[in-house]
Amino acid sequence: MTAIQTLHILNKSPDHPRATRCLEMVAEEDCLLLIGGGVLLLATDNLPGISRVFALTQDLDARGLANLAGNVSAVDYAEMVSLSVQAQRVISW
Amino acid sequence: MAETASESFTLVITGAPYSSQAPQTALGFAQAAVDAGHRIDRVFLYGDGVHLASALSAPPSDETHWPEAWSQFLTEHSIPGVACIASALRRGLVNETEQKRYELPASNLRAPFEIAGLGEWVEGRIKSTRTLYFHAGD
Amino acid sequence: MSTLIMIDQAPYGTWSGREALDMAFSLAAFDQAASLLFTGAGVNWLKKGQEAGGIGQKSVDKNLAAAPIFGIEAILADRAACRTYGLDENSLIGGVTQVDADAALLAAYDHTAFAG
Repeated sequence: MTAIQTLHILNKSPDHPRATRCLEMVAEEDCLLLIGGGVLLLATDNLPGISRVFALTQDLDARGLANLAGNVSAVDYAEMVSLSVQAQRVISW
Repeated sequence: MAETASESFTLVITGAPYSSQAPQTALGFAQAAVDAGHRIDRVFLYGDGVHLASALSAPPSDETHWPEAWSQFLTEHSIPGVACIASALRRGLVNETEQKRYELPASNLRAPFEIAGLGEWVEGRIKSTRTLYFHAGD
Repeated sequence: MSTLIMIDQAPYGTWSGREALDMAFSLAAFDQAASLLFTGAGVNWLKKGQEAGGIGQKSVDKNLAAAPIFGIEAILADRAACRTYGLDENSLIGGVTQVDADAALLAAYDHTAFAG
């Protein structure tokens, strides 16, 4: 994977104002990791146009969204750690 | 994926157990970080996150006991757990020292958590290679 | 090693803004570079004339006006949010720099954090 400028970790569901703010900030050289309520973004049509979007499997499963995992890369906690280590910066929204 | 050998983390939890997923997500992350050979320098509880350090939590037996789960994890791996003093005192999380200082009827801080100031977070910010935050989702 | 503390929630109704200020002031107390970015409803922290005694809280506008003395490098406010809430140079406390809170702004800091 090419270098990750910023890992944006989003746990706010799409309705939350901070979710909108986060999505405005993600750029192609960044990664977006959806956790908690943030995975609900997959059920809308509003995924950002960047190529590296990830979602935590356990949070997808909890919310009945396992079938949408194909739209993004579903990851587990080990990969969440790995992403946070690879990124130059991490922002938890 | 190439990555550096070992990183050190300060984890900040600002969401309370049973009000948010923050303690759960943080524990999943922390466990994976340790399994991957990284070090967790400290876990810092801030704002509502201080409730994770309560010795008086009594959830139903069929629910995860988050304060107990965290207490066990910190003890097993000798990781310092700190509750921010300003956040803790306001919310009624006190150790024996603070109980005496404020002449309170009881103390309720769960071992191995300690109470300290934001200086611990600042130190983590300086010394740990990564500082991550686990907030409530609302 | 610079830190940007972001505040996007309105004052007095929740505590995360107060907790964010404590974070920024702690960084400054330890000689660490810290700036504050107010965005969304958070820009209302910067309004002149707050009198919070009647709701049992301390008004923060005076603390914020003194922030540079405590070592806070900049108090930034998102321009669009100021517009939304009708805040301009006359209604904002002194020492506020209006900015466009975008990715380029955030990229200028090593570390960006919310208090909650």
